Amino acid sequence: MECDNFKSDVSDKASLQRGLSTYMNYCYGCHSLKYSRYKRVAEDLLIPLEMYENNLIYDGSKIGELMEISLTKEDAINWLGAYPPDLTLEARLRRPDWIYTYLRNYYPDSSRPYGVNNRVYQNVNMPHVLEDMQNNLSESQYDQVIYDLTNFMTYVADPSAEQRKRIGTYVLLFLVIFTSFAFMTYKEFKKDLK
Amino acid sequence: MSENTIGKKSLEWVDSRFPVVDLFERHLSKYYSPSNINVWYLFGFLLLIVLVMQILTGLWLMMNYTNTAEGAFSSIEYIMRDVDYGWLIRYMHAGGASAFFALIYLHMFRGMMYGSYQKPRELIWVGGWFVYVLLCAEGFTGYVLPWGQMSFWAAQVIISLVGSIPYFGEDLAIWIRGDYIVSGITLSRLFAFHVVLLPILIIAVVFFHILALHEIGSNNPDGIDVKKHTDQDGVPLDAKPFFPYDITHDFYALGVFLLIFCTVIFFFPEGGGYIIEYVNYEPANPLSTPAHIVPSWYYTPFYAMLRAIDFPLFGLTAKFLGFVVMAAGIAIFAALPWLDRSPVKSIKYKGIYSKAFLTGFVISFFVLAYLGSVPPTETKNMLAKVFTFIYFAYFLLMPIYTKLEECKPVPERVGDPA
Repeated sequence: MECDNFKSDVSDKASLQRGLSTYMNYCYGCHSLKYSRYKRVAEDLLIPLEMYENNLIYDGSKIGELMEISLTKEDAINWLGAYPPDLTLEARLRRPDWIYTYLRNYYPDSSRPYGVNNRVYQNVNMPHVLEDMQNNLSESQYDQVIYDLTNFMTYVADPSAEQRKRIGTYVLLFLVIFTSFAFMTYKEFKKDLK
Repeated sequence: MSENTIGKKSLEWVDSRFPVVDLFERHLSKYYSPSNINVWYLFGFLLLIVLVMQILTGLWLMMNYTNTAEGAFSSIEYIMRDVDYGWLIRYMHAGGASAFFALIYLHMFRGMMYGSYQKPRELIWVGGWFVYVLLCAEGFTGYVLPWGQMSFWAAQVIISLVGSIPYFGEDLAIWIRGDYIVSGITLSRLFAFHVVLLPILIIAVVFFHILALHEIGSNNPDGIDVKKHTDQDGVPLDAKPFFPYDITHDFYALGVFLLIFCTVIFFFPEGGGYIIEYVNYEPANPLSTPAHIVPSWYYTPFYAMLRAIDFPLFGLTAKFLGFVVMAAGIAIFAALPWLDRSPVKSIKYKGIYSKAFLTGFVISFFVLAYLGSVPPTETKNMLAKVFTFIYFAYFLLMPIYTKLEECKPVPERVGDPA
């Protein structure tokens, strides 16, 4: 199926914080973010380090550590039949549109072990972790939760995006000036030739 | 003038031990370039800048990269996240590779258009072609290093081509990989090639290319020999010193190039999946093949040729024949100086056949580039065959059509009416 359009806004820190909270409470049990560090996320999302440490680190890790989970490969395969992939780069791999659509397209299917199937990813192994939430919220509220979660995953896949665009703007401004002067120099010397 | 004495004396001191003044004059201030060269003559300078950029960014990447199957993928993410401005260095390097190929294709096309490969510039052309071949190897080895899914499977596909060589191919492929499949052993040897062997060769051949150029001098869009008419001091009349006239033009071009380049790396660093493939954000997994294995955009014309040959012939497998055709597609550029029998250099004065075949070549290059980047279908395979044929016709029929056609007379001097 065609994916719904998703427009990320990684400058919306409130949305990223809500997305982080959903991720840590619903996804992080199985899906690590092992290329990212707690501290980096806390700093980028403007969360005080102490508050982060007290509320969003569950296994006594230090704040500077990588966001690894305690679920072992063996247990995962015993319990779920597969090892849930790390999702740090999921938004770059499958793209945010895909994630946003995927998480909103679970449907009941009694032929599957967890009683659910997915329109985007047929016969997916993952249970519908957010089922309760989806049942208790209105459609637009649930969409907002998924928007925030996808937005957070977009951020965590490419945490330097904001800094990159900010620096890029200055670089281009400099280059416009440089190129103007280079052009004038070129023109000036060209006058010598006939 | 007294304030210049120290500077002057130091220069004399150095100059009597190393010929700085002579080198400066011979290669810059008294190195003459034709007065009619145009924008197509800016790419050589830009390529040199990109080469320096790739060496410097590569050096910094290497400081934080781990060349093992276990550590490669996460070391890239370490560079992207934990190393200060590591993301910038990596995007410059990845984007630089694409820029390198874009510029070298334009640079090569200039030579084909204006017959710059013709006598007496055969060795300049062959040297440049060799740089291109080395660059293809450099691009391929570098592509493997992030050790993502596409890295792994591209390496698997390319090295397996060697395995299609009859009799000893399989053994050769194992020797190259150092293993039965692409593995950490392969990764670390490709890393060694990428950071030591190939860059040294590229720098050496580029040096040769420029030295050979500075001996003969640049060709020009009219293919006029500007050294024929000189003043009493032997200075060519239809030329200007490289310094300061060309260098100022080159710096202006550099500004324009960097505007485009920086727009890409700061705002579209993945280039829509053409600079950094999305599939490569998944770590290499020998047990799961991606749905579509696509090479980088700059190899796709040759990949299309490889796939176009889908039939065995004379007892040789389709895969081996495809490999031969693909390699020939790259190798044949080197033969251009001896395939072109035209009395004139530039396409401006060549006849209708040369114009038609060059147009055919350009179209086939773009069509093959497209076909190599999409999943194959029956129709697309047919098209790939047709355009592979046109691509080779440009080269192989050249000795005939350049002899048959009628050329326009080349003006004696720049600015003369044709």
